[in-house]
Amino acid sequence: MEISTLPISASQRGKLLSAGYTSLSSLSSLSPSGLAQDLKISETEALEILKVASQRNGLNKFENGSRAIVNGAQTAWDMLHEEESSIRITTSCSDLDEILGGGISPKEVTEIGGVPGIGKTQLAIQLAVNVQIPADYGGLGGKAIYIDTEGSFMVERALQIAEACAQDMLEYNSLLRKNFKPCQGNKEPKEFLDNIFYFRVCTYTEQIAVINYLEKFIFEHKDVKVVIIDSITFHFRQDFEDMALRTRLLGGMALKLMKLAKKFNLAVVLLNQVTTKFMDGSFQLTLALGDSWAHASTNRIILYWNGNERYAYIDKSPSLRSASASYSVTGKGIRNSASNCKRVKLM
Amino acid sequence: MKVEELLLHPLPTQTPKLTLGCPILDHLLRGGVPCNSITEIVAESGTGKTQLSLQLLLAAQLPVSRGGLSAASLYLHSEFPFPIRRLHQLSFFYAPHLPNNPLDRIFIHPLHSADHLLDLLPRLDFIVPQLNIKLIVIDSIAALFRGEFENTPVELKRRSSIFFKISSKLRFHARKFGLAVVLTNQVVDVMDSSDSPRIGNSGFLCSSGRRVCAALGLSWANCVNTRLFMWREEERRGEENGVSENTQTRRFVRVVFAPHLPDCSCEFVITREGIHGVDR
Repeated sequence: MEISTLPISASQRGKLLSAGYTSLSSLSSLSPSGLAQDLKISETEALEILKVASQRNGLNKFENGSRAIVNGAQTAWDMLHEEESSIRITTSCSDLDEILGGGISPKEVTEIGGVPGIGKTQLAIQLAVNVQIPADYGGLGGKAIYIDTEGSFMVERALQIAEACAQDMLEYNSLLRKNFKPCQGNKEPKEFLDNIFYFRVCTYTEQIAVINYLEKFIFEHKDVKVVIIDSITFHFRQDFEDMALRTRLLGGMALKLMKLAKKFNLAVVLLNQVTTKFMDGSFQLTLALGDSWAHASTNRIILYWNGNERYAYIDKSPSLRSASASYSVTGKGIRNSASNCKRVKLM
Repeated sequence: MKVEELLLHPLPTQTPKLTLGCPILDHLLRGGVPCNSITEIVAESGTGKTQLSLQLLLAAQLPVSRGGLSAASLYLHSEFPFPIRRLHQLSFFYAPHLPNNPLDRIFIHPLHSADHLLDLLPRLDFIVPQLNIKLIVIDSIAALFRGEFENTPVELKRRSSIFFKISSKLRFHARKFGLAVVLTNQVVDVMDSSDSPRIGNSGFLCSSGRRVCAALGLSWANCVNTRLFMWREEERRGEENGVSENTQTRRFVRVVFAPHLPDCSCEFVITREGIHGVDR
């Protein structure tokens, strides 16, 4: 537990822990007043705690005198600094990470779509595991919320991916840190499963209820660093007589999810299905839920088949250039595609 | 109901599975047909969909120690007539492992249309716990939609909204009662490969030497969790001059997509005792 190593008073430490702050990263996105409210302490005391925590993080952002004029507002410089220092969730496929600028970024809503069997759920499970990679290994050391609307989450598969991830961490340890004592935080595969909060929703009302409940839940579990919804679409493709209602409900959900992503500094990953759309005299594949939904997510990634290889394509993103990369689904989870590995070796 | 109740924490370490009644086929599916989700078997007629379904009806009654669910099963059939004599024949091979007559714990109901199925699904809430049903088989889902819908955008939209309704209800019950749900689906021939998107592990599916794909299209493919494809190949044997030539049918099964299975396949045979995988 990182909090227990901070040089603060025992009562402050106790208050932090009982409010659910266990890691430094859970403190990183907080304002002093928010923390003060949360712990029922004075604002100066809260600022003191954040200063200590940020010093530990090496950020020192409170000492620059760049405190916001309006509470909650930030300067562009701060935002840039924060974004550069924020850790992304790796996909375990370096080609995919490269086009994504390092992985799935926190504070943003990322939508991933593709035909059945392309590997949407596989990627989602991989992210739920990878978000837990400890900070010592360059990860976030967070927890995951997995909202399953289709019943495709299989614990066997999650365990398999977790085992491979734990194995990779061990190898990393033995390769790079031969002369040092082994990293703290080696994890058992079973622990990975315990850090996934799994919600199974069977109707669209349940789906909306869970999303409304998330804010309270994450408030109590501040280590949650990714929220995955697999899929956002399924319950909204049954017959909605009133399409305007559907658009409103979806829009409301999107707003709440964006707010969560910003407020708690976490990544939101939405899976979507594809459908055919009649365009220019022929049927073309497009993501489901229509044009207005297309605005809901910050980034859109489309997964597709190219010959016998799986590819991911960045369809929409404010900061990434559109590019595509191949990946493969293996027993260990998402990895680089085999043909690409060969090419790299030759070079 | 409270939102908190939707959270499943900590997660169980395994999904309960229903044996297929054959160790090789069980190995292919890593233990069998998973509960709490929908498994679809796609095949052209005469490949063994119904044979496998019948076998599952009996296997569900086996005790958990033998890979079964020690529960009753419900069979909804839209293809007529129901092969009762074959089921009776198969039941002899299961009777020694079961306390009562296995046929007493198989409930059979005909289906006449998609709307009929939609009317029936809410009643499962009552039937399933009362009869201790743990397996529902629908043979076949495609037959319900053949013919009733025209090939116009409006009709196709209505059809796919019915797909999602059926799937959602089935998934709801599967989750609520821990059911294994198995659906069978037919195939359609592929005329022009360019206009149908690739779904799953294989670029194209072949059966009896023809290119085929699962019936009901892309939107239905979103309605199942696992899709298996069974196909047949005719193989010629005997002299080349065509005098005493006979053909032998070989049958195969492959995982098209599944959240927990890699792309794998195996050969199987249908005998008097049922369906069995062949280890080659």
